[in-house]
Amino acid sequence: MSPSLESYVLLSAALFAVGFLGVLVRRNTLVIFMCLELMLVAATLALVAFSRFNGTGDGDVFVFFILTVAAAEVAVGLAIIVALFRTRHTIQVDRLNSLRR
Amino acid sequence: MAPLDTALLVLLTPLGSAAVITLLLARRGAAAAAVSVTASAAVAIGALSLAFGGARFSASIEWLRFGSFAVSLGFKYDDLAALMLAIVGVVGLCVHVFSLGYMHDDPARARYFGGLSIFMFSMIGIVLADNLFMMFIFWELVGFSSYFLINHWREKQSASDASKKAFIVNRVGDFGFLLGIILCYWTNGTVSLTELGAAHAAGALVYSRTIPLLLFCGAVGKSAQLPLQVWLPDAMEGPTPVSALIHAATMVAAGIYMLCRIEVLMVEPALFVIAWVGTLTALYAALCAVIQSDIKKVLAYSTLSQLGYMVAAFGLGSAGAAMFHLTTHAFFKALLFLGSGSVILGCHHEQDIFRMGGLRARMPLTFWTFTVAVAAIVGLPGLAGFFSKDAILALAYDNNPAVFAVLALTAILTAFYMVRLWKIVFLGKPRSEAAGHAHEAGMSVTAPLVLLALLSVVGGYRGAYPRGFEGILSLVPEASGSTHMVVLGASLFVLAVGAAAALAFYSTDGTDALQVRFPGAFGFLESLKTSFDTAYDYYVAKIQQRFALILNFIDVVGLAGVVVRGVGGAAELVSSGLRSLHTGRLGNYVYWFLFGVAVLWAYAAGIL
Repeated sequence: MSPSLESYVLLSAALFAVGFLGVLVRRNTLVIFMCLELMLVAATLALVAFSRFNGTGDGDVFVFFILTVAAAEVAVGLAIIVALFRTRHTIQVDRLNSLRR
Repeated sequence: MAPLDTALLVLLTPLGSAAVITLLLARRGAAAAAVSVTASAAVAIGALSLAFGGARFSASIEWLRFGSFAVSLGFKYDDLAALMLAIVGVVGLCVHVFSLGYMHDDPARARYFGGLSIFMFSMIGIVLADNLFMMFIFWELVGFSSYFLINHWREKQSASDASKKAFIVNRVGDFGFLLGIILCYWTNGTVSLTELGAAHAAGALVYSRTIPLLLFCGAVGKSAQLPLQVWLPDAMEGPTPVSALIHAATMVAAGIYMLCRIEVLMVEPALFVIAWVGTLTALYAALCAVIQSDIKKVLAYSTLSQLGYMVAAFGLGSAGAAMFHLTTHAFFKALLFLGSGSVILGCHHEQDIFRMGGLRARMPLTFWTFTVAVAAIVGLPGLAGFFSKDAILALAYDNNPAVFAVLALTAILTAFYMVRLWKIVFLGKPRSEAAGHAHEAGMSVTAPLVLLALLSVVGGYRGAYPRGFEGILSLVPEASGSTHMVVLGASLFVLAVGAAAALAFYSTDGTDALQVRFPGAFGFLESLKTSFDTAYDYYVAKIQQRFALILNFIDVVGLAGVVVRGVGGAAELVSSGLRSLHTGRLGNYVYWFLFGVAVLWAYAAGIL
């Protein structure tokens, strides 16, 4: 017996919640970035599940695009983090607060 | 030279002189005086050759154009302008020559002569102007020159106060003048004197009461009529030749001249007002003149009074009579002022008549020329003032008995205060050190006196005028028959009464007999004299000042406080609230993001 739609959606929601909590509580930019990716993947999983259970390819097509864009986004995001570390010598978000006041 | 070129040269020569003096000769008094006197001689020659030449012309060029509205500059040289230009030229030359002697030791001589030149330029501009806008421009320029010359001794507080007063009071009148010009353009579509005259001849002119009365406001300011007469007595703070030229012979007469220029616009009710303003000014000023002890102030009030005569003559419908009296008055009043200048110079700048006396023996030439002028102003038969004043009295007798009565009373007062002045200054014994050592000044002071005395004698005879002025002189009313006899009798009677009373009443012991014997009457006249100044002081200090304080309050609290500070403060308040959201912690932003998503979801789900 294959898993039901609900279990996929629940897994997706759980992954999203884990990612969101990670963004909230972690201080390391790199980890926050990974958590963001996790949230993206959670959304992707939900799309694939809906696509399969509805018997249409719409969600699958969406996922292809999301993965492509996410790859580009990771490249840019990591580059920013590297550049940030080079100038500020830290990637801890609570110390990146020079805009405050 | 074509007449137009001559006129242009007459206008521009004094301007050139003023420019040369201001730019090149500011520190060289003698050279500046020579340039200015030469320029004024050129003006006199040009003015007289134009008048004798008989050519009458008008020409104009467009100066500025705004859409359909054009301002033009041009000359209208008719008989009226010819007469006025000749007066300005001759009196101007006399005053310039007199100034050579009078201002010889003044440290700021160059500035003074530059001022005289710029005044001549402005005054000639008024005389030649062919439209009201151009006249207004030069009208303001003479106002400026008057201000500049009254203020010549600027280290004296009273002189600088007097110059400001003259300028500001004139502004009040000029505002009405400007409104009148605008209204005239609005209703008639033109302010050109030639076109207005043509429209009048064709019956196409729009008449109204407002236009002539508003234009008359300008004359009220410039010719110092009630209620704006307050500046003229104070203007005597300026050098005496300036008083002779500007505040007796020419500039203050410009108001009368302007009225004669716009005669076609006049309507009956406006003329009625003008006649009474002139009549009351004549009486009021004559009353004030009786109690003055400063020689120049007596003459200043006398000028006011005579200007009132001219305005009254114009109001009674005869521009010719007004211009005739303006002409003779220019000669004998300039002579009186220059004579007083000679006296002041002889007595080392003593102006109090009660500290003079006995000058008859010490300054014979000044005495005799002054006597001629006094005889002319009081209307002794055979002298200039007799003819012109009789023309006005005859006019009044025929048209308005009430005006005639007041003017006759004024004539008594005129004889009274002029003989008083003459007796106290020249007869008796010297009453001060300065008067005892008085002496006649040089040729440059006495020659103008003699020339003007001559003009004061012959100025009343029509035969003395060249043919060119007939157009104006034919307008002078000539009394005939019973009117002639009545007016002649009346004027001889008032002259005899006034002069005899003054001769008998005043002594030469250095006291004012009126003040000693009738302190009540003296006090009344004193309060009459100061009443206008008191009223204006009250108005400015109590009413206008309070209004200004209210406006200041509105400005400080309302505009600067509520509007300017209020807007700034509100922006600051909002920004400090928004700034507190900017914590710099990523977590906070994520919560806000979550909050935004929740709101968006609620909106999409239809909850909000």
